[in-house]
Amino acid sequence: MVTVEGVLENPSGFHLRPAQLFVEKANQFKANITVKNEQGMGAAGKSILGLMTLGLACGSKIIIEASGEDEQAAAQALLELIKSKFGE
Amino acid sequence: MELLDIIKEDTVFLGLEAANREECVAAMLAGMEKAGLVKDAAAYLNALNEREAKGTTAIGFGVAIPHGKSDGMAAPGLAFAQLKTSIDWNSLDGSPVQLVFMIGVPMEAAGDEHIKILIALSRKLIHADFREKLLAVQSKQELFQVLQGI
Repeated sequence: MVTVEGVLENPSGFHLRPAQLFVEKANQFKANITVKNEQGMGAAGKSILGLMTLGLACGSKIIIEASGEDEQAAAQALLELIKSKFGE
Repeated sequence: MELLDIIKEDTVFLGLEAANREECVAAMLAGMEKAGLVKDAAAYLNALNEREAKGTTAIGFGVAIPHGKSDGMAAPGLAFAQLKTSIDWNSLDGSPVQLVFMIGVPMEAAGDEHIKILIALSRKLIHADFREKLLAVQSKQELFQVLQGI
């Protein structure tokens, strides 16, 4: 399993649209993805609704766990997406 | 702000018959207008369609949350529809939609209040028993009880 950490920097946090982009990216990989917030609450990284329940706001720490054959690539791609501020 | 502050009798549709997304949104928008939440329906509809064009608002589990920030809204508003038969909404998980929450927020009020509502709502929607309750409610009063405290 690969674990990476980032900080959400898009102004409006992890609302529906960023969650959707995250899921679209996660679905490009076979790895199982889990996303956690700083409080340790976890959600499936391929579920928009699940990601929204984490309540991640701008400035929140986000922890991505990937496991499976392409775990390294998946974790990096998702971290890049967060760093890109989802194009906002 | 709580859900019950922005949802009105006129914006609740139980057993709504709609053939597609457009019909569903039109019915819900008419309800928002009737409730006095809208000052320019065409402008708000435009915001909804622009948002939908960027990517579907169907979040899986048979639920869609169309939303738009627009000067066409007079006040923050929420409409709910429980559809008689599910419809296609381009959902990522391929599942048709039977429960719809439509959110409208005026531009000037577009802080993060509505995002807090979205988060609170998603924390309930993730649970199958909550979705089942929404599918089962038969009166507006029953729905308001289910939504109490969110």
